[in-house]
Amino acid sequence: MHDISFDHLDADGAIAEAAERAGVVSRATFLGGALGGSLTLLGVAGERAIAQAPGPSDVAILNYALTLEYLQAAFYTEAQRMKALRGRAAEAADVVGAVERAHVAAFRDVLGSKAASRPSFDFQGTTEDQNAFLKTAVAFEDLAVAAYKGQATRIKASSALAAALSIHSVEARHAAWMRYLFGVQPATRAFDEPQSKQQITRVVNSTGFITNTPSTQGSRTPRYTG
Amino acid sequence: MDSETRTRAVAPPGQLAVPERSRRSDFVKRGIVAGGAALAGAAIAGAPRLTDAAQLSQPDLRALNLLLLVEYTEGAFYAEALRQGNLTGAVLEYAQVVADQEKQHLDAIRSTLGGRAEARPQFDFGDKTSSPGAFATAAGDLEDLAVAAYNGQGTNVTADVLAAAGKIVSVEARHAAWIRSIVDQPPAPEATDTPQSADEVLDGLRQAGMRT
Amino acid sequence: MTGGRTRRAGVVLALAGGALGFLAVLLWPAPELAPRVGGLPASPDPALDVPAPAPLERDPHLAMWSVVERPASALSAPGRGRRVGRLRTRTPEGTDNLVLVRRRARDARGRVWVEARLPVLPNGTVGWVPRDALGGYRLVRTHLVVNLRRFTATLERDGQPVFRARVGVGLPRWPTPRGRFYIRNKLVRYRSTFYGPLAFGTSARSAALTDWPDSGFVGVHGTGRPELIPGRISHGCIRMRNRDIARLGRLMPVGTPVTIR
Repeated sequence: MHDISFDHLDADGAIAEAAERAGVVSRATFLGGALGGSLTLLGVAGERAIAQAPGPSDVAILNYALTLEYLQAAFYTEAQRMKALRGRAAEAADVVGAVERAHVAAFRDVLGSKAASRPSFDFQGTTEDQNAFLKTAVAFEDLAVAAYKGQATRIKASSALAAALSIHSVEARHAAWMRYLFGVQPATRAFDEPQSKQQITRVVNSTGFITNTPSTQGSRTPRYTG
Repeated sequence: MDSETRTRAVAPPGQLAVPERSRRSDFVKRGIVAGGAALAGAAIAGAPRLTDAAQLSQPDLRALNLLLLVEYTEGAFYAEALRQGNLTGAVLEYAQVVADQEKQHLDAIRSTLGGRAEARPQFDFGDKTSSPGAFATAAGDLEDLAVAAYNGQGTNVTADVLAAAGKIVSVEARHAAWIRSIVDQPPAPEATDTPQSADEVLDGLRQAGMRT
Repeated sequence: MTGGRTRRAGVVLALAGGALGFLAVLLWPAPELAPRVGGLPASPDPALDVPAPAPLERDPHLAMWSVVERPASALSAPGRGRRVGRLRTRTPEGTDNLVLVRRRARDARGRVWVEARLPVLPNGTVGWVPRDALGGYRLVRTHLVVNLRRFTATLERDGQPVFRARVGVGLPRWPTPRGRFYIRNKLVRYRSTFYGPLAFGTSARSAALTDWPDSGFVGVHGTGRPELIPGRISHGCIRMRNRDIARLGRLMPVGTPVTIR
């Protein structure tokens, strides 16, 4: 298995910087959440600061959201191409995939040159089998809901918050839909809990779905037959 | 390594680990048990921890009162539907679970507002609860309205209220997609959920059956 | 006249008063209709402009490839049959080994196998590899078509030609193999005028040069002898002028399927 790259979840380097300040040497270790409170970079207290355009901290949050949208869009798109789904699951993959691709386009558009680049993925068979697909889709959508929810109070620009809220509830619809298709209860509690970026990162890390780009280019002298 | 271990399910943090496929009749048991536990310790377990009512800003108070009206309406709607007894099967299961969750929402908001809570309005749902089909349509519309109401107020409230409301709005969205899935309508046709203003929400609540 | 004007003014005032009163009833809701929710601003314009969701287009020109993540045997059928090849994780050039993937199937135990085009002899071999021996799927939209009789190489993208060049191909005793292959790697910034500025490795093997160093893979590369092109000039490789290979280097990603006729 390739090493996992987290650059995409930490586009402005804020977490890495905090890790270095805390004396953690390698990138790999900061993801264990060992830094705790020092990573609460943006407490929003009392009144919300109204900003007109996304500032640097909002850019980091938007890039984090973009990475999760890349993950979801790639998952559904690959599932459609694998043609392993039938019936309502196939229809759901089509509809939700189109929405996640639209989300990706929107984030890339607003971030411009600051947009995180698209990671490489290995979905390890979860797009090639209906049962595995549904199980993974449920997890992804529940994850996305918790991720957006975990960032809402950290967003500074009200325009960015409005956008995030309008997507967060759509992800919740997706979660309920996939749960219904999988055969489990779409809403199990009255209150959904947020998860922090560290927690979400840890979960995404554990899947192994984000991989390094393959190394297909070299500079040795060729020994092809000539 | 066989493909079973490869297709690792991601356990979403903070949620129940994605359970193995269960029969639909387990929905109700699982949901009601979870709901009951939350009700028993509403101030501790499930209910969002909000700030003291005295620390709420004016927009917080107004927004919470608007959302209170939404929750009053949902609560009354589900109660009426269950009382009439026309629902069966998956639609009945839905109504039972969701009625319980909406009650928890109402309690959380009302307890935050304390003495500043608006009085419960009157309701007349007409024939919206007279048949499973009518109920399902009205429920989907009402849940959509709730999502739009919460999203519309998210930018008006302070951080603590936003955090609490955030835990509720996604559940309303789940409700909307759930009932639509049951009756074979598109559960999530749009890429974004458009927020509605307070006035639009009040109009929507009146159309849904709120009187006064 | 004054009297008339006064009467008209009086009528206007009365009408205005009546209109105001009427408006007052409309705009000033009765207390029971005015919950304490007034004065809440509407949402700001969202920072994101989300386009309408668009369905995935049907795309007959897509090919998929995958890195070999762990050594594996490729079998003639999913989970059974004879071994048709052994896959390593690296190529002789030091890059990740990769295979073109075609379709998938489950074996009797429910394990997923993938049918892949393999870089083994005999040329054109396909075999079934376990899904978990491979990495993520990567897409390409391009296709390189080499015509040995006409000495041309054409790159298509989404089915449309975007590049064409004249080529030199294998001498009769070291023919360029015909069949379906794929681009396996790309070498750049080496020092060799023989191969030109860049070289692609394919999955095709020379059937004649069985003891060539590094297994005798057929390449697509530049040349120090452009005057020989077109013609049957090589040990099996497909050679093109250096400016052509440089352009192809910008247009053709690794993983591109190659058809040699």
